[in-house]
Amino acid sequence: MRSAWFFYRKEMLEMTRSYKLLWIPVVFIILGIMQPISAYYMPEILKMSGDVPPGMLELYKLPGAAETMAKSLGQYGMVGLLVLALSAMNSFAGEREGGTAELVLARPLTPLAAASAKWLAQLTLLALSLGLGAACAAYYTVRLIGGLSWSAVLEASALYGLWLLCVVSFTLLFSACLRAPAAAFLSLAAAAGLALLHTLLPRPLRWSPAALPQLSVEALMQQGATAYAWVFPVLSGIALIVLCFLGASLLFGRNKLPRF
Amino acid sequence: MKTLDLSLLWPLFALQGLLAVIGLVSLARARSVRGPKWMWVIIILLGNLLGSLVYFTIGRKE
Repeated sequence: MRSAWFFYRKEMLEMTRSYKLLWIPVVFIILGIMQPISAYYMPEILKMSGDVPPGMLELYKLPGAAETMAKSLGQYGMVGLLVLALSAMNSFAGEREGGTAELVLARPLTPLAAASAKWLAQLTLLALSLGLGAACAAYYTVRLIGGLSWSAVLEASALYGLWLLCVVSFTLLFSACLRAPAAAFLSLAAAAGLALLHTLLPRPLRWSPAALPQLSVEALMQQGATAYAWVFPVLSGIALIVLCFLGASLLFGRNKLPRF
Repeated sequence: MKTLDLSLLWPLFALQGLLAVIGLVSLARARSVRGPKWMWVIIILLGNLLGSLVYFTIGRKE
């Protein structure tokens, strides 16, 4: 337990040294506040860009507060996810390629402890980025567009965060057995595949973790079709994370050099 | 025309500036990056959010 804690501190130190703990939250805040600002100033932006047919600008309707907040969270599902996957891809792969994996495993540190330290470090980064980003996005939405229910924002962010954590756990799993770029690519592809399957078969796959972004939008709009619709996606998401985590610690314990 | 509320806009520009500064500091301290360093200086300075993002995700070596 103590060694896992030390390893976690080492991971956080590395994140600080590589400026990840600084630039990723800043990117999340920018992404979050850009949405309400651009929605609010859209007529001015269009006017500045030139040729707008007369009467067009009067047609512009300010989107609702919940809609704007949902779009901000949607940004985290696109750009945010890319950033998180690219930053997590080196977790295990970097140790292996840098030749420090043997050192880690030679220490009195079980692969399970090493994996949990790495996973916790990624969770810290995700929670910090998403928490700051969503809070700033909500603040700007309230200031510029209209009222939001804070409990709905909290619920929606938590649901979205769980989906992001699923994908980050995928990245960790693949990082334990593949080279870093392949790990990032494969986890993003897996996320896209899950999301696509869910849009194709929304009813049979109601329980899938890919339903979480949609549930997060519904939580914001406060029009949940059925109460407790979130139970199964949340449970399956947690199960997926646990599986990825156990798989990652198993694969890292073997520490074979990957061919890809 | 809405009056531009600067109290809400300046944080956005400040954050973008901060991101560029973090990028330049990390670039200056990095022993080696993918591609020449002067290219990344231009990308970070001119590329706004996207430029810094590309530097951090692709340019940096771990």
